[in-house]
Amino acid sequence: MAEEILWGLPVIGYLFLAGVGAGALTVSASVLLRGGGGGFAGQHFEIARYGAFLAPLPLVVGCLLLILELGSFEAGHWFKWINLYKTINLSPMSIGTWLLTGFIGISILYAYTFLPKTPGLGKNKDQLRRLLAWVSVPLGISTAVYTGVLLGAMPARPFWNSPVLAMLFLVSALSTGVAVILLFRAIFPPRKAEEPHKPMVAEYFQKRDQSAYLLTASDLMLVGFEMLVIFLFIMYAHLSVGAVKGSISVILFGGEMSVLFWFGVVIVGLLAPALIELYYVIPKLLNHQPFDAPLIIEIVVPIAVLIGGFMLRYVVVMAGQITGPIGI
Amino acid sequence: MNDVKTSTPVARRDILKTIGLTATVGAGAAILSKPASAAVTTAKPQFGMLIDLRRCIGCHACSVSCKAEFDVPLGATRSWVEYIEKGDYPNVSRSFLPRLCNHCSEPSCVDVCPTDATWKRKADGVVVVDPDICIGCKYCLQACPYDARFINPVTGAADKCDFCLHRTIKGLEPSCVNACMGGARIFGDINDPSSEISKRIAHEPVSVLRQEQGTEPNVYYIAADHSDENIAKSRGRYVRVDTHRRQQERR
Repeated sequence: MAEEILWGLPVIGYLFLAGVGAGALTVSASVLLRGGGGGFAGQHFEIARYGAFLAPLPLVVGCLLLILELGSFEAGHWFKWINLYKTINLSPMSIGTWLLTGFIGISILYAYTFLPKTPGLGKNKDQLRRLLAWVSVPLGISTAVYTGVLLGAMPARPFWNSPVLAMLFLVSALSTGVAVILLFRAIFPPRKAEEPHKPMVAEYFQKRDQSAYLLTASDLMLVGFEMLVIFLFIMYAHLSVGAVKGSISVILFGGEMSVLFWFGVVIVGLLAPALIELYYVIPKLLNHQPFDAPLIIEIVVPIAVLIGGFMLRYVVVMAGQITGPIGI
Repeated sequence: MNDVKTSTPVARRDILKTIGLTATVGAGAAILSKPASAAVTTAKPQFGMLIDLRRCIGCHACSVSCKAEFDVPLGATRSWVEYIEKGDYPNVSRSFLPRLCNHCSEPSCVDVCPTDATWKRKADGVVVVDPDICIGCKYCLQACPYDARFINPVTGAADKCDFCLHRTIKGLEPSCVNACMGGARIFGDINDPSSEISKRIAHEPVSVLRQEQGTEPNVYYIAADHSDENIAKSRGRYVRVDTHRRQQERR
């Protein structure tokens, strides 16, 4: 069976990292445009900044992983992947190459506008940042969707060949994007000196809690939505016939990957974080009580969501390759 | 020869029809054989293969000649022969299924190639790979429903059967066809109605592999056993497929 795995851990890692980066950029840019704009006065500017700084690196690392998996790289032709840039066609991978390139460029520039000192940008920094944010939202969504389309484009891989897969990867990308912002925000809290208004301590913490609430509630919503998409993914495949039904059975009860899927993806990555987040979100949502999740929760929950995101890519990529068309 | 199926210009066909109607049966047939040769020049050639499994003895001569022809690296196969074993004693059988690239008319491997390193040749319909362009991303390996492709460890590029292009452009038949001692393999232009292969396809009950994939394969089989291990397992029947390649299971 091992020989049949053409795309292994590098590709799985890439799909996960691309999702995290694309999610972080999309969340950052949309938060900036919606509630954090207008320079440092925005309410959730801090979220936008974390997202902007977190977006480029996963993509760069992910793309390097992809190159490692290339047959040409393994055979010693280390720079043959340049051929990807010599053409553009309707192959999802070709479109993806250009998307990723644009993503890396735009996201690095976008992150640069968030630096305290930005030599070379002049006074139009805020304008440029907003412009880049407008580009970043569709770019981030396209990148996240493309990772699903990449796998979904092949009728010969019945597990992947589902229109819902790209949607699943998009929702997972957004939720892991929110999670990574939440995690880094908890581990590396923003320094007060960077706040231009130097707000009072109480005001600062209130703002901080608002951001934490926004992130946690968004993550909860996304995780809930992800559960729905996974349900649709499984249900439509299971209600199908032949190869599609046969392929989905590897993650259902009794299948080869059922434990990884139900424990790694559903329980660790979705149910557990959703329940914990619900516990802390409900009081504020329903009773307008202050949001006070302990720091350890702000660290553990995102880690669980990220593990779930990785496991989702792992299970999908592996299950797609150990199944195939039936009959000959 | 049926004149309706040929793609000669309408005017000439009408004239020929009129002649055919007025002429005697024998004379009409003689005249009507002409538009067929006219069609050869207009129809796009498509090389294909017909494998008559009633004549296949599972000797692997095709696999060996292919290995020798291309110096295919160890562990990789452009052409291989599967053994299908089925039934319970005493009602048992073993049949053979030689496999190779189907040179599909709708090749899914070509659709997914991000570098345009693989394409379907217009001259003969053969699906080829340029190892100098291919980066070895394995997308085509994933997309092929026949598992016909592999990464050549020497070049690092995708590799597969090309109907022995270096031989066919010189008018020779592919190496596996040449080596087949049972004469089971017939090679030719399936769009040329006068070729042996298209005549045989027209006269014999033929089948292709995984027709439901919509790839329109151009490798045809006579008397192929389409038994599948996984389907048989779910029905509680015994079928064992021996692929004779590194990939122990069909996918």
